[in-house]
Amino acid sequence: MNLLWAVSALLLSCWRANASTAPNIITEPSEVSNQTSAVLSCNLTESSLPIKGSHWIHNGKVIEKSKSGDTTPYTILRLDKITHNSGGKYECVFLTDPEVKQTIEVKTLPHVAAYKHSEHGNEKDIGAMVCVSHGYPLPTDWTWFKEEDGAQTPIINGTTDKYEIKSTPNKTTLTINDLSIENDIGDYICSGTNELGTTSDKIHLRVRSRLAALWPFLGIVAEVIILVTIIFIYEKRRKPDEITDGSAPLKSNSTENNKDKNVRQRNSN
Amino acid sequence: MPPAAATKLGYTPPDGGWGWAVVFGAFISIGFSYAFPKSLTIYFKEIQEYFSVSYSEIAWLSSVMLASMYAGGPVSSVLVNRYGSRPVVMVGGVMVSAGMVLASFGRTIMHLYLCVGLIGGFGLAFNLQPALTIIGTYFQVKRPLANGLAMTGSPVVLFTLAPLNQFLCDTFGWRGSFLILGSIVLNCCVAGALMRPVNKNVRPKPTTEPPECNGEATEKAATADTSAQSANLLTEANQDEIKSQGCVHKFIDLSLFKHRGFLIYLIGNIVMFFGFFAPVVFLAPYAKHQGIDEYSAAFLLSIFALVDMFIRPATGLLGNTKWIRPRIQYFFSFAVLYNGVCHLIFPLLPGYVGMVVYAVFFGLAFGMLSALLFEVLMDLVGPQRFSSAVGLVTIIECGPVLLGPPLSGALVDIFKDYKYMYYACGVFMLVPGIYFFIMHYYNYKKLDEERRHSVVVEIRTCEEAVQLKMSQDGKTGHETDG
Repeated sequence: MNLLWAVSALLLSCWRANASTAPNIITEPSEVSNQTSAVLSCNLTESSLPIKGSHWIHNGKVIEKSKSGDTTPYTILRLDKITHNSGGKYECVFLTDPEVKQTIEVKTLPHVAAYKHSEHGNEKDIGAMVCVSHGYPLPTDWTWFKEEDGAQTPIINGTTDKYEIKSTPNKTTLTINDLSIENDIGDYICSGTNELGTTSDKIHLRVRSRLAALWPFLGIVAEVIILVTIIFIYEKRRKPDEITDGSAPLKSNSTENNKDKNVRQRNSN
Repeated sequence: MPPAAATKLGYTPPDGGWGWAVVFGAFISIGFSYAFPKSLTIYFKEIQEYFSVSYSEIAWLSSVMLASMYAGGPVSSVLVNRYGSRPVVMVGGVMVSAGMVLASFGRTIMHLYLCVGLIGGFGLAFNLQPALTIIGTYFQVKRPLANGLAMTGSPVVLFTLAPLNQFLCDTFGWRGSFLILGSIVLNCCVAGALMRPVNKNVRPKPTTEPPECNGEATEKAATADTSAQSANLLTEANQDEIKSQGCVHKFIDLSLFKHRGFLIYLIGNIVMFFGFFAPVVFLAPYAKHQGIDEYSAAFLLSIFALVDMFIRPATGLLGNTKWIRPRIQYFFSFAVLYNGVCHLIFPLLPGYVGMVVYAVFFGLAFGMLSALLFEVLMDLVGPQRFSSAVGLVTIIECGPVLLGPPLSGALVDIFKDYKYMYYACGVFMLVPGIYFFIMHYYNYKKLDEERRHSVVVEIRTCEEAVQLKMSQDGKTGHETDG
């Protein structure tokens, strides 16, 4: 009976020991939102396993400078200037056997940028405008506005055939059908919203007239026709002179020349 | 052998005068033929986005255009043999222009393939062959120089079209640009108008060959009438010959396949073209692969094009000198060999400086080769058969030209390194170079033998002609007596 007690007590203590010595990482802060700088720290507690070192991972890529061989269960990463590029998922990794890691999310406002700030379209043709976003977290909502007289009118997808909006978390495309010079020239604003807020960017749309390319085309065709005419007229003018020049010598020297030519031609074959 | 080929012409080429205007016309035609397909690549990105197609589908456009240009060679030759250079070039110019204008209204990518690729390519073929052919009719003594100058059209037009295309693309979009390009290419018609058919009635200038036969005849002939009579006898026989040649020349001259020089040229060229264009195509990607930024990589191409531009007329001048002209085939073989050596050494050169050095030397090699490419063919087959020769050569070269870059690309993909591709291209140029040297040495020996043989026959025929005249004199003497 006593033996049974001892064994069960041993087993229980072992189990509890395992539970209580499971490595635990305390992160400070647990999440970074909309800050210009931060210091991320990880504290490895309740672990008896030897630590060979530690490093940090940003969005799946190891940060080379954060690699350290310190055996301390404490590691920090300084983010001096948080921009949309430095946002994302940060993981602190302790090189124990097995590895233990913990994630800290660094969230920023979305960074919305237009592919091209000035877009061209042809009249009665299709015009497309694209905005992309980088950062973390990616926008969940995209909206397009058209700037008219200082006010922004939203463009809603699906109401008319004219506008088509296709959005994915990192890219949005506004397609305008049947461009017209009077109505569609102007500024368009794309804005992306995530849990922290909204940012937007502006694109200027220019619509080219269908006939814009026609004038240079006609101009060059006219130039070609004029040049060809001049060349042919010049040639017609010179031709009668050339014929009289050619025939005179032929009469006097033809016999000698023919003989030379004929003899050589026969022999060279 | 320039002397033998010249006598077959039956007239003396002007070697100047209006010939230089023709060279300018050929400059424009050749320039557009080679540079136009290359410069269209600037529009690919915009067209790709517009039609939502992949990059390989859009790259087909260039390939179709190049393929049509080479395949249209024989058709072009037949037309040039029949109608002369001028109408063919003008029709070609109109075709490319029409193709581009139609393409600007295109609704599908297939429409573009047909208009720009097929019609445009054929139009360019109609520009290339006649331009090369007409130089042969206008120049004999200064022909390498004329060829070198005309071939300079390619880099110069490319240099001009590339930034122009960028500007047009930004200002007018691809549709408007195609419309305007259609009108720019119409200038090929102006080039065609300049290609006046050469005047064959001009009295030949005193030639370098001693008129031995003539001298002997005048010594022994009594009157000018009898010499005219014997000349007439010979002329009739010759006219029949010319007529039978004319029938063959109406279509393509397939007897070229029995021509020794032509076969040497053809076989060497087929192997050479596998490694000809690929190094140019992959220069910028290789530079970027080595870690050089985009602008410096593009600058390499500019250096290459600039050196190419200046070396072509220089090569023409050099080929014209009295030391090189008689043995111009060796000069060509040297150019091919030099290309091969350049490519083989290139992967061993370190860093960006090494690449710049390579770009300069490769520009030199490429320019030399291009300037001589058609000059040596003219030298081998003579101006009369040149048009058929170039048609046959281009259609057979079509294969290597189209297969070369993709094969090289496959080599790069397999080995994940560009240097094996450059080694391969180097070998593809080295082997034909050596082959050309050996074969042309043999060919020159044979030609010298044939010339000696023909001179002997000439002397014999002269003696026969003189004897004929003497017997005729005797006859007329009898007639006047009796």
